[in-house]
Amino acid sequence: MKDKRFMKAVLVITALMIFIPVVVIVIWTVTARWPWPSLLPESYTLRTAEELFFGSHKLTEILLSSILLATLVAVLGTLIALMTARATEIYNVKGKRAISFAALMPLLVPGTVFAMGIQVTLIRMHLNDTITGVVLVHLVAALPYCITIMMDVTAAVGDSLEEQAAVLGAGPLRSFVDASIPQLLPGILSSVSMAYIISYSQYFTTLLAGGGKIKTLALVLVPYIQSGDRALASIYAVVFVGSALIVFFILETLIHRMVKTK
Amino acid sequence: MAQPQGCAVSSKERMKRRDRIVSALLLTPFILVTALVLTAIVNIMIQSLGYMPVFDLYDVTLKYYIEILKRPEVLQSLAVSFKVALSSSLSAAVLGTLICAALVRTHKTKGGMLYTVRLPILVPHTVVALFTVAMLSQTGMLARLAYAAGIIGDYTEFPNVLFGTGYFGAIIAYIWKEAPFIAYFSLALMSGVNETLGEAAENLGATPFRSFMHVTLPMSMPAIARGFLIVLIFSFGGYELPMLLGATMPKAFPVYTYIEFLKPDFKLRPYAMAMNGITLIISLAMALIYAICMRRLIKKIGGSYEG
Repeated sequence: MKDKRFMKAVLVITALMIFIPVVVIVIWTVTARWPWPSLLPESYTLRTAEELFFGSHKLTEILLSSILLATLVAVLGTLIALMTARATEIYNVKGKRAISFAALMPLLVPGTVFAMGIQVTLIRMHLNDTITGVVLVHLVAALPYCITIMMDVTAAVGDSLEEQAAVLGAGPLRSFVDASIPQLLPGILSSVSMAYIISYSQYFTTLLAGGGKIKTLALVLVPYIQSGDRALASIYAVVFVGSALIVFFILETLIHRMVKTK
Repeated sequence: MAQPQGCAVSSKERMKRRDRIVSALLLTPFILVTALVLTAIVNIMIQSLGYMPVFDLYDVTLKYYIEILKRPEVLQSLAVSFKVALSSSLSAAVLGTLICAALVRTHKTKGGMLYTVRLPILVPHTVVALFTVAMLSQTGMLARLAYAAGIIGDYTEFPNVLFGTGYFGAIIAYIWKEAPFIAYFSLALMSGVNETLGEAAENLGATPFRSFMHVTLPMSMPAIARGFLIVLIFSFGGYELPMLLGATMPKAFPVYTYIEFLKPDFKLRPYAMAMNGITLIISLAMALIYAICMRRLIKKIGGSYEG
């Protein structure tokens, strides 16, 4: 039992290491003055909230465009992954190993290398500084995870129910939507959630493909960190992580419910 | 008799052809995205070899690679990126495995503790940089705690871990984000192995520690190693953390590459692309070494896991 106590201690320390910086940043969001060496701020303020809503950046606009962009990437990424998984797992297309390798290839090419390499092509296709260009480079980053998830669930679900539906007279699309989609839904949602987080976190690829014209929370946060206005940087960070967490927990709750009712 | 049989064959053929067409359609968007990655790689190769017709550069040459590798600051910067990637990924693998084992051992493989471990995966690197500054700068939380505990008398006595040439800030920030990633990434395999083989070993009289070291850990290695490779390549090519937490000199290699890339004189572009080419070659070499090690490991444990 001694090892169990040790393992519990490991988890307590892990949780502390994870939560302490979060708490410190949350305190920073309302800090007016926090001089050395006090452990708590000397005075508090709501200046940051004011700056957030009425400041130089239009927060609601940036928040909205970040969420829309990430949602677009999440939906497209999951759709492409689902289609790819159908081809390899249900239609048993030739060259499955090659497809699996190609799907994981973006993990071997660092995002910085990819973004600098693709820029000429984006310019030639007139996609630089556009939403489409940013969506494309985000898709590259998200797809390896989406495809891994979708291949796993598609293989697990199989197509036996679909075939039964087809035998009973349903068309191919109808039998897929009615018989397989409900079973695939937890996997679809975890792929959506993963792609959303990846797109939401992208900094370098957004900077290069968007040319600074496509503004996301990741992009506006960096100058605040560099300027050293820690209170303002903190409130942007809290909005950034907080909004991602809200989306994440909505999706998690849905997945949880579905798995339970099955 | 021959007639209906022939009919059956041709309808089967037709089904097969239809399946092939459907698969091709299903794979089209994936192929387009993959083509994008390949295009980026080809662009880097062509431009780094000096072939840029738009700017009247036609000679295919290795001189850009050679000249880049002759710059002393390039070698320093490669060394820094290597150090950051290797030390953070190794620490993350060890700590991640420990966290994963703790989750499995205490049966906390779902619920609150698991969400806690997943939190750093959701936090973007830019925000992790802010966390690191707030915690580890000379007037940060850790320095204040050290002062309160009487360990240091003034903030100047606190070690300057941020923005120094040691890149300790970036390394710690990567560990904070990647140890939980590896724990989460290995969790499914490790808890599966533990439930079957690990507990069997314990029933046969092995202590939990021995059963972990000799059964669960080696069998979980494929997932741990794969997670390690992902974070190794990621941190080697990562931009945000060394940019926000690193020293002015030497710069991390991707940061240096981007500065070279931004130079307005397009005749200098092949240098930046050669630097990207070097990062790409090193990343692929890391993947190759991983593949060779995995093949050996799988032979050793005799498993049928795919690496």
